[in-house]
Amino acid sequence: MGGVNYVTRRRAALQPEEPDEESWEELVPPPPSCPLAGTAAGSWGGREAPGAMLGKGAGGSGAKPAKPSFVSYVSPEEIHIKEPIEKELNLHLLPGELLLCEANTVLKCVQEDGSNRGTYGKLICTNFKIAFLGDESASDDNEPEFKNMIIGENDITLHCIDHIYGVYDEKKKSLSGQLKKYPEKLIIYCKDLRVFHFCLRYTKEEEVKRIVSGIVHHSQTPKLLKRLFLFSYATAAPTNTDIQNQTVMFDAIKDWREELERTKGNMKYKVLSANEAYKVSEKLPLYFVVPMSLSEESILQYQGRGIPIWCWSCHNGASLLKMSAFPKEQEDSTSQMHKIFLDGVYKTINKPPYEVLKTDDLSSSLPSLQDIQAAYTRFKQLFLIDNSTDFWDTDVKWFSLLESTNWLEIVRRCLKKAIEVVEYLEGQNTNILLVEENASDLCCVISSLVQVMMDSHYRTKFGFQSLIQKEWVMGGHCFLDRCNHLRQNDKEEAPVFLLFLDCVWQLVQQYPPAFEFTETYLTVLSDSLYIPIFSTFFFNSQHQKDANMPGDGHNAQSSHFRFLTVWDWSVQFEPKAQVLLNNPLYVEKPKLDKSQRKTTRFKHQRQLSLPLTQTKSSPKRGFFREETDHFIKNILGKRISKLINSSDELHNNFTEFYDSWHCKPIDFHGLLLPHIEGPGIKVWAQRYLRWIPEAQLLGGGTVATATKILDMIEEVQSLQKKMDEKHSRTVPQGREALPMLRNSARLSSLFPFALLQRHSLKPVLPTSTWKDLEDEDDLAKRDDEFVDLSEVI
Amino acid sequence: MEHITTPKVENVKLLDRYTNRKPANGTLYLTATHLIYVDASAEVRKETWILHHHIATVEKLPLTTSGCPLLIHCKNFRVAHFVIGHERDCHEVYTSLLKLSQPVKPEELYAFSYNPKMPKDNREIGWKLIDLKVDYQRMGIPNDFWEITDANKDYEVCNTYPPEIVVPKAANKATVLGSSKFRSRGRIPVLSYLYKENNAAICRCSQPLSGFSARCLEDEQMLQAIRQANPGSPFMYVVDTRPKLNAMANRAAGKGYENEDNYDNIRFKFIGIENIHVMRSSLQKLLEVCETKSPSMSDFLTGLENSGWLRHIKAVMDAGVFLAKAVKEEKASVLVHCSDGWDRTAQVCSLASLLLDPFYRTFKGLMVLIEKEWIAMGHKFSHRCGHLDGDLKEVSPVFTQFTECVWQLMQQFPCAFEFNERFLLEIHDHVYSCQFGNFLGTCHREREALKIFEKTHSLWPFLLQKKQEFRNPLYKGFTAYKELKPNTLPFSFQFWCGMYNRFDKGMHPKQCVLDHLLNCMSQKMKLEDSATDLENKLPFLDGPLPDEVCSLSKIVNASVESSKTPMLNTPQDYESEPPALLTNGAIVEEVDIMPSRDQKNKENFVNHHDLPDLHSTMEVIESDAKKEKLQYQ
Repeated sequence: MGGVNYVTRRRAALQPEEPDEESWEELVPPPPSCPLAGTAAGSWGGREAPGAMLGKGAGGSGAKPAKPSFVSYVSPEEIHIKEPIEKELNLHLLPGELLLCEANTVLKCVQEDGSNRGTYGKLICTNFKIAFLGDESASDDNEPEFKNMIIGENDITLHCIDHIYGVYDEKKKSLSGQLKKYPEKLIIYCKDLRVFHFCLRYTKEEEVKRIVSGIVHHSQTPKLLKRLFLFSYATAAPTNTDIQNQTVMFDAIKDWREELERTKGNMKYKVLSANEAYKVSEKLPLYFVVPMSLSEESILQYQGRGIPIWCWSCHNGASLLKMSAFPKEQEDSTSQMHKIFLDGVYKTINKPPYEVLKTDDLSSSLPSLQDIQAAYTRFKQLFLIDNSTDFWDTDVKWFSLLESTNWLEIVRRCLKKAIEVVEYLEGQNTNILLVEENASDLCCVISSLVQVMMDSHYRTKFGFQSLIQKEWVMGGHCFLDRCNHLRQNDKEEAPVFLLFLDCVWQLVQQYPPAFEFTETYLTVLSDSLYIPIFSTFFFNSQHQKDANMPGDGHNAQSSHFRFLTVWDWSVQFEPKAQVLLNNPLYVEKPKLDKSQRKTTRFKHQRQLSLPLTQTKSSPKRGFFREETDHFIKNILGKRISKLINSSDELHNNFTEFYDSWHCKPIDFHGLLLPHIEGPGIKVWAQRYLRWIPEAQLLGGGTVATATKILDMIEEVQSLQKKMDEKHSRTVPQGREALPMLRNSARLSSLFPFALLQRHSLKPVLPTSTWKDLEDEDDLAKRDDEFVDLSEVI
Repeated sequence: MEHITTPKVENVKLLDRYTNRKPANGTLYLTATHLIYVDASAEVRKETWILHHHIATVEKLPLTTSGCPLLIHCKNFRVAHFVIGHERDCHEVYTSLLKLSQPVKPEELYAFSYNPKMPKDNREIGWKLIDLKVDYQRMGIPNDFWEITDANKDYEVCNTYPPEIVVPKAANKATVLGSSKFRSRGRIPVLSYLYKENNAAICRCSQPLSGFSARCLEDEQMLQAIRQANPGSPFMYVVDTRPKLNAMANRAAGKGYENEDNYDNIRFKFIGIENIHVMRSSLQKLLEVCETKSPSMSDFLTGLENSGWLRHIKAVMDAGVFLAKAVKEEKASVLVHCSDGWDRTAQVCSLASLLLDPFYRTFKGLMVLIEKEWIAMGHKFSHRCGHLDGDLKEVSPVFTQFTECVWQLMQQFPCAFEFNERFLLEIHDHVYSCQFGNFLGTCHREREALKIFEKTHSLWPFLLQKKQEFRNPLYKGFTAYKELKPNTLPFSFQFWCGMYNRFDKGMHPKQCVLDHLLNCMSQKMKLEDSATDLENKLPFLDGPLPDEVCSLSKIVNASVESSKTPMLNTPQDYESEPPALLTNGAIVEEVDIMPSRDQKNKENFVNHHDLPDLHSTMEVIESDAKKEKLQYQ
């Protein structure tokens, strides 16, 4: 019963009966006489069978007495009398989740050695996950405190499966398509780097057939978008009223306007609503920001290609832009036209009030998507370990193995490119235009990295989430294709978003106090890529999402239909677990004023006080720089900008900028540049090593530091609390009421926080540090479990 | 002084190894003990001090347009690249430095001229600070099985051992002397560490003179006595830390390793740690990687692997873990040796003790450990560190490796050590600095002959004085960890930037977490202090409530306690600089940043809390607290 928690249990209890037959080819049609089909069923008709079936669950009228939640396929004589109870305890299905097949007496092997040690249990496959229900879960006591409420320890979502191998006579074969022979052992490699070994030797042949072909079919064959579990879930899940979320989603025009205002980009850039109803392009979001001087016609003319789209503005007015390149045309005239058009665009931007523009074609300066995919494939092999013997074998040449994957070098190159861009923006007051074929892969990586480095707002949790919304989700990163969620085209697969997270992790690892979130947050976020109940990472574009929203107006029930966003962390984690996502050492930016104007001014001054290349540069260069605008504008046009930035000087500027920054004391709320020398770039141990028992370190590791820090902060807090009490005690009248107040204070999480608020103007964003004492108390108790979390799991 | 022909050279450039910035321009001074470079181009006076003893090599590079380059490599891994305007000046500095950095006579070492102007008594007290007998007592020795003997008081057993050694009670004088004839250089098996809980012991010695077939009854009795001193175990391990091939080669020279058939109930093991020559060249390769200008990821990783350095560190660690496991889990005693039993054996024994006993992870403990396993047992510091002009083949980073092992452990267990990285670096610096007497010479006998106890000072009291800056704010206390079980998988070993790239600004992971924590600790203290103060005020306003009395006294106690072990009150700037080490002037750099940084910390604090009314109270109390602390210091 280990994996059970209250919420999922309740959901499981809501499940209606399962269909009597399973079918691999299509999802099961609802039993014609399903008595439980509720309101949603009517609206959905036969189109979304599972959803219809579970409509009742969504209705929330599931106060039915406990009942086996599915019909077992084992022969009746095998059904043990107590089994129903056990099942009821163990199997929790999400709304919209259907049990497809199962197998009993499966042995989940312990990886340590070749032996068949392990736990017996039932292996099931649903339209959402593969789950192993083992006896081990019987021990209720050691239930981990930090646990995912959606994905249990032995659950693998279908999208999280990377590869499935069967073992036939000690030989490992990849499983796919129609199977003729069934293996005695199933090895599942997961995208979150877990490895499961399921021994089927003691399972009935019939069940083996069913479960193996079921798992292979549901996880390996191409799927239609509409068949994503996402839709079943969204249909069936109880619709909560909108959860207040401070993450800016950038799906409304106001979000963009506010962002323009916040970055003071509104002088030179405007939000366009030309793409409403996707008239301009299906790749672009409904609203996007372009230079003020750009005409709407030209945008329509080329369907959004060749248009510089604004990402972010620097305090000095220089902006970060991105642009999807024109396809290489065969026809001369077309490409000529493109060229003229682009020249026109550049000229517009090069005119005042804009700064000089520099374009950077990312497809030529960074590794290709294929390179990234190949590197990651090699890299993850280092951590997908069948047994510990393999692992020890890596011993001798660990570093050369690491080197041969090239992954760290790619991470380094991305960080380096981002620093280069930062240097242009900050050091040279130059606009930067990132160009890429679709402006939705490496453009996203680089532009988001630049923003994380330059804008401390994006180092807060909500800021970071907003950034991902802005650059990735709205920016049209093809999550569906890049993660290969539908298994339709392996060639499109590339871990671009993971690459970004890895780069951010490098920054977090180098400057922990600068980030409001922890590495655990990043790890958990990377896992969420494969959980198909959140829409965030399951569409290629906003258009695709909107186009696939059911009920185009004529369906009254469509209001019922709501996708979850991954940013609602309460879906996955209980509050006390969520605390671990917050960095206790993070200190809010020392600024309490909400007014935007002041924000930027403050930032402006602060950053100017930083030593910049500009101020330090030799007089000659400075002179030339000042003259640049003039030259370009009047005499030479844009060509000179390329001349000025000859690669040699570029390199010098870069190193000078980089070095001078690193020589100065660091401001955690200012510009942040990562170390990119060899020793600076590291392996994201938490993500990659967390499932390897050999990597475990009892009582050690970064977690030990983290818990100690929490202890200390708690100490400071409790002392402060004590002082606050004492302090208020000196107020004469309050004294009588105090004992009570104090007692209730212990219980009320509001007490210290409210008190702090009274004394200080805390910023809107809640701080983890001073949040509430109750959570902190829990944390103290959790020390041990916390160790488990990242070192053991 | 006679070596210095040009005490001052102007217009000297100092190139930064990593950055392409304009080189600093300034003046170079040569003093009797230091090379001092004063940067005139910086807005604030910036001094670089390099101790002559720290200089490993001086090279004069070919003349360039800007002047004559002088490249200095230091033993603490600093690389200074000067460019001197005139060739003649450069040559004079070069020849002076060659002589100054390689003294011929021990009397020329800095320790004999270093005078911190303290009373004579203090020097004596300083030398008595670490008493090994106390440590043996801590292990419960003497007891039924072990005794401290002065069998070696005239160095008749072994001239590289200290006069007092710990041997099994069952081993009589004849056994001891007999055994000493059979061990290389007379280094008989003696106790290194006794694990009190199960009587398993770690002992150390040198290789036996067994050749292909020689035996020695007394030596066999000696081992039997050690095994029997641990009645709980039917066998004991004999660990040869050398690779098997090396050990076999030694047999031809009449040395070698124990024959399992000749000794009762021993289990013999090889642990392949390479010899000093392999280690020396490995470090050389590692330093080459460190010196590569902007290496790619691939350069760095392949370079790191090809140097083999971390593999050697891992081998030492593996051996330490093996010993600790044998003692703790198998309850078996272990006898460790290598060739002479003063390099690998010292590394392995001290590491095992560190893993087993939390005491050695405190300030005092590490000092005791170094004093016991390294200094007393005759690790040849003078030769291994090249203190004097001598055979370069004898130089090897054996102690550096031990230091790094401790650091690797600190990386894995950040809360288990009372001290921080800077403490290790400071010790490492002084092993080479010859500023204190502890590491001079090669063994106890030689140090006596040098009269270091009368003529020089001990390092340990000097370090204890500066304890505050070496404190690990994450330390969870003595009882939090018992034995450590480190992970020895290859990825658990990290490149130690703080050691090998220590003087390369910009290469450092900024230790901001540490900084923050020191902040937290000082905050905690301030809050405690003001709590006390408010408590004290309370009685004047109104009588304390009954339930308050106990908590009041508790808080007072807490605050008294915290003032007894004062924590860092003014966090230093560890971010951009290695801290100013050796306040007496060995390395002092850019002290100018500190005030501004301090200021910032204070601001931070204000923002963090924004409790204006509390704040004013605190400030008053803070000054009181400081006064109080001064008294304790």
